[in-house]
Amino acid sequence: MGFFDIFLVEALVNGLLLGGVLALLALGLNLIFGVIDVAWICYAELVMFGMYAMYYFVIVFGLSYWVAAPMAIALIGVMGVLLHVLVIAPLLGTAPINQLLATGGVLFFLQSLATVAFGIDFRNLGIRLPTLEVAEVFVSYARLLAFGAALTGMLALWLFLTRTYTGTAIRAIAQDREIMALMGVDTRRVYVITSAVGGALAGLASCLLVLQYDVHPFVGLSFGPITFMICVMGGLGNMIGGFIAAFIFAEIISIGGLYLDLEWGYVFAFVFFIAMMFVRPEGLLARRS
Amino acid sequence: MRLGRRLAGLGLAVAAAFGITFGADAQERKFKIGVIYDYSGPLAGGGSSLHGLGAKIMIDHFISKGPVEGYTIEAIYADAQSRPEVAINEAVRLVEQEKVDMLLGFFSSAQCVPVAGRVEQLGKFMWITTCISTAVLENRNYKFVFRPQAMGQHFGMTATDMIAAYSKEKFGKEPKDLRVAIIHEDGAYGVDVARGNEAGAKKHGLNVVLKEGYAATAPDLSALVTKLRRARPDVILHTGYNPDISLFLRQAREGGLKFGALVGHGAGYGVPEKLREALGKDLVGFFNVDPISIWETNQAALTPDLPPIVKMVGEAYDKAQPGNQRSPHVGMAASNVYLFLQHVLPRAIKAHGGVNAEALRKAALEIDFPEGGTMLGFGVKFAGDGAMAGQNERAAPVVIEYTANGADVVWPRSQAKRPPTLPLPAGNPYTTR
Repeated sequence: MGFFDIFLVEALVNGLLLGGVLALLALGLNLIFGVIDVAWICYAELVMFGMYAMYYFVIVFGLSYWVAAPMAIALIGVMGVLLHVLVIAPLLGTAPINQLLATGGVLFFLQSLATVAFGIDFRNLGIRLPTLEVAEVFVSYARLLAFGAALTGMLALWLFLTRTYTGTAIRAIAQDREIMALMGVDTRRVYVITSAVGGALAGLASCLLVLQYDVHPFVGLSFGPITFMICVMGGLGNMIGGFIAAFIFAEIISIGGLYLDLEWGYVFAFVFFIAMMFVRPEGLLARRS
Repeated sequence: MRLGRRLAGLGLAVAAAFGITFGADAQERKFKIGVIYDYSGPLAGGGSSLHGLGAKIMIDHFISKGPVEGYTIEAIYADAQSRPEVAINEAVRLVEQEKVDMLLGFFSSAQCVPVAGRVEQLGKFMWITTCISTAVLENRNYKFVFRPQAMGQHFGMTATDMIAAYSKEKFGKEPKDLRVAIIHEDGAYGVDVARGNEAGAKKHGLNVVLKEGYAATAPDLSALVTKLRRARPDVILHTGYNPDISLFLRQAREGGLKFGALVGHGAGYGVPEKLREALGKDLVGFFNVDPISIWETNQAALTPDLPPIVKMVGEAYDKAQPGNQRSPHVGMAASNVYLFLQHVLPRAIKAHGGVNAEALRKAALEIDFPEGGTMLGFGVKFAGDGAMAGQNERAAPVVIEYTANGADVVWPRSQAKRPPTLPLPAGNPYTTR
């Protein structure tokens, strides 16, 4: 086998599509951190609730996937607002570690709540999408959808942040929290809107992940840590940085896994993360001060 | 009069003394069992809670029958939360605070390995109903840890025995030409079964084209699928839990992976209703190595006391989970708990004077049942010393093949209902046909 073969192309494509999934997950988390300056450690658990919402809407209530998806997105958007109002807002003026611990507590709360409410069974929609084959390279439709949604989400978010008054206010607050309040901007309202958008992005991710993964109360463990690392590598709050980091991370996992043991792909990705923390601790796209 | 009063007083004192003695005796004659399974976390849905249910059905059955040789059974249940450190802490808590006489249960090999060492240190008796890793007992020389269950390497070698036996007849290839891939989750359980696969492949001269481990919580297995496509195996031997099995098979289907046979090894592959939910009819034709379901054993070949117990477990399960297909996991735990409560415990009390770890050990080592001596079909004889001290040397799994509505035993030939369908049937999206 030569170094370059069709399977390398397939691994590259797989890496690209996995990158789309991870980028989608990182998008909302980065938005929240960039604006409110709080890392939602429990972000993957919001995604888990979104996946449960999809399961109940589609399987239990018999709604079509396309009707269920906007409802799940809206529901998780509301959860994002509740998370902000009930947990984050009272802690905004406190030390960052308090906010981190609080959202960490919410993570365990949501896992336990899901266990009690939904049970421990693995559930899935049972939707089997067709396979796309192009020149002996197989592409997953579910992954392709996630990839497309990540790109669309990124574009929509960019348009929202740059072309709307609220988006401009959000960007302004991300640049300077104190001064914007002094200039008469209602920061609380902006925070609530940001939390709703961040939650909705988690909801969007859940609509796509539920096509690929079984949902159970601990499904967040598969994504939570890796999403957080991607956000840190891209520069917490830097959405483009997070987007690029997701693809770098995914390609290392995919190509490393092809040529070495699968686990080495993850080892290399984590080593790369640690190395980047030394070289560019502020993130991939951070400007040197 | 005074004498009468004195006699009455003496009588009261004697009665009181007896009363106290009876009370103390009643308190002492309690046999406390600490039961540990995962009732939360990913392993719970992967089969652990079903084992917990099987154990509970049997324990409740014995409690309802009344004391065993004068000892009232009391069970204290603990949740290992799918985490080894929690399993260790709960085991220690049950021994030190709840003062249990023994520990029973354990689904995950990753928990069994450290817990067994800790329980042995504490000088308590441990009865493993489920976890199969060879490493739990291998070269440990434990005195008080016993496992009636077949071990991981048995599982791995049973798969290769079947594949090698049918290589020429079904695949039209000599074993040396049959391409086999071994993939497994990288915990104690997966690694151990894969070792058995590898040893079995070596024994039969099968051509192992890929051996690969992965983390059960990995969010993506598409690189594994690509590697398998490159390796072009005729047979895939897979050991995993439930979420990773579904993810792998979903990505394998989307990735265009084709093979002639897929053999799973218990855990996630032993929960067919969940697999059917995720895979639908694609599951038909897949194999699973596991102890036989107690509802599938040849009842005529079992000792006469067992068929009514098999029936009782089935009815209790139907009551607990109405409408669900009877899970082999439930029967497995129930059978192994029955063996302890019906045979080991009474023998320890009667022949060895009590319920301490030494008495239970002696009783366990005396058990000598031929094939048909358990609801799972196999016999019982524990190794007292040597590399596998505490292991039931007569335990053996079977291979079942999933059908449209159930499953058939297809290996070993002595217990097979019919020969296996090899390669995968036409129409299955994974088939090479």
